[in-house]
Amino acid sequence: MLAAAGRLRANGLSDRQLAFIFVLPAAILLVMFAVYPFAVAAYNGFFNINFITGARTWDGLANYADVLGNADIRAAFVRSVIWTVANLVVQTTLGLAIALLLNAELRGQTIARGLVLFPYMVPAIVAALVFRYMFNDVVGIVDYLLQSSGITSEPLEFLASPQLVLWTLIIVNCWKYTPFMVIVFLARLQTVPHELIDAGAIDGAGRFSTFRYIILPWLRPVLLVAMLLRTIWTANDFDIPYLLAFGGPLQASTTVPLKIQALAFSQRDIGLASSLAVCVAILLVVASYFYLRSYRHHEQEVA
Amino acid sequence: MSEMAAASAGSPMPRRRRRRRIRPFRLFMHAMLVVVVVVADFPLAWIVVTALKPDQEIARYPPTLIPNTFTLDNFENLFRISPFASYLTNSIIVATGATFLTVVLGTLAAYSFARFHYRFLHGIGELSLFAYMVPPILVLVPIAQVITALGLANNLASLMVLYTAILLPFALWVLRSYFLGYTLDLEQAAMVDGCTRFGAFRRVVIPQAMPGLISTAVFTFNAAWSEYLFASTLMSTPKTLTLSPGLALLLNQTGVYSWGILMAASVIVVMPVIILFIIAQRQLVSGLGAGAVKG
Repeated sequence: MLAAAGRLRANGLSDRQLAFIFVLPAAILLVMFAVYPFAVAAYNGFFNINFITGARTWDGLANYADVLGNADIRAAFVRSVIWTVANLVVQTTLGLAIALLLNAELRGQTIARGLVLFPYMVPAIVAALVFRYMFNDVVGIVDYLLQSSGITSEPLEFLASPQLVLWTLIIVNCWKYTPFMVIVFLARLQTVPHELIDAGAIDGAGRFSTFRYIILPWLRPVLLVAMLLRTIWTANDFDIPYLLAFGGPLQASTTVPLKIQALAFSQRDIGLASSLAVCVAILLVVASYFYLRSYRHHEQEVA
Repeated sequence: MSEMAAASAGSPMPRRRRRRRIRPFRLFMHAMLVVVVVVADFPLAWIVVTALKPDQEIARYPPTLIPNTFTLDNFENLFRISPFASYLTNSIIVATGATFLTVVLGTLAAYSFARFHYRFLHGIGELSLFAYMVPPILVLVPIAQVITALGLANNLASLMVLYTAILLPFALWVLRSYFLGYTLDLEQAAMVDGCTRFGAFRRVVIPQAMPGLISTAVFTFNAAWSEYLFASTLMSTPKTLTLSPGLALLLNQTGVYSWGILMAASVIVVMPVIILFIIAQRQLVSGLGAGAVKG
């Protein structure tokens, strides 16, 4: 940076050159670690690849046909949709409610804000360890509390039951990521113009109308952006499901990213894994297109 | 919401009516706040409590909420049975390095995005949006192949650069919105007063964007500190393992019988990021919020 500055004074770089120099290192990294590997993966999707030698045999669209026809992959896809939608619905609703709660001038608000946001900083491995312990069906405190309060008579096998495991993972993920929604909504809530609320009050708006007609429209742009980001991150999330349940039992928690990893490293079918990953990327791009269109549509409405 | 509005409208009439109507609701909100805080923080408290219990007490059923006997045995055993100190050092090196690189490169690029309008900048901006959407699992295999072929696996520096690349799109997105804010006028004023562009960048633009820089740094550090997928694929020797894959290994080695040791490790892993969060809390809310708002 200093060298660039020295040259700047000596030669008087043009704006264009300066912009180029500033952006170059980031651009190189993006090409090396996103564009190039993406291209390789997309290319790999058309081949049958020998895991050991790396030799490629042209396979046409066979991998893609497999992605659509393979029952295991379809099951993983259904799990991923449940995982993403459930997470998004819970996190958005809870995030909104908690942000309103933290913005309501309650006693202890400042401390509560910090305490509520802590889980977002907790590394996935730590969340996995503590919830493996808490949701353990023998020594876990959750089953102890549920049984001693009479809610359940038998211990629930939160992580060992194929019926429950995905929902347990969703609970843990919501615990960790709802605070992200809270942060975003809270920041936006702090900028609601007082004139708007005063005007609403003069018009006799109650608590619900104020929320429905003033607060919610004000939050809408960040709501969409935050939901877009969470959709991408949740659909791609590997660490929380993997570290909590390793995809099991009986593949009951194998979402698409875990399936891709298993295809690539256990079944050693890099071609199939790549074509599945490309399908996910395409779906996410399509989803973001709809989010962004709705966002722009809203912006135009305002303008 | 509506009470705030009524209070600022400030006529005595609605205030008296308000008092009778709203008290129970505020009581309910306080109760909900307590519930939310307990749900959010009980697991963290449980980590600390368990880490401080002796093994016999951890195995006791029903569990004790406050340890009868406090002990640091779990921490001692952790460092004795695993190369935890080495995991810790590696994670500190990688996370600090990646944070530094991301913030410096991200600041330069984001400033460029916000200030100049050339076609190639627009292209690179789209590129970073694209990089943001690429599933990490998709690029894992090609990246692993290249890094292994270059003989750079089990190398902390390669992990550091990889993290920088992965975290740059997020950094660009938050920082750009900061530079788009109100710094342009001040920057031009400084240049009129005789600052070079670089002088204005250093003395005016950077200080203005400080909250954005701090929140970017904290989130980058946290993400690099926590990352599991790439670290577990690229690092295989105990000497180069970072915390997340190291702890996953420990879980498999110790099985379910040493929750004390695992919770002791969790305390050490989570402590730095929580402290960082407390220090930077104010900047985080405004920094991330602004990023999302202005997108």
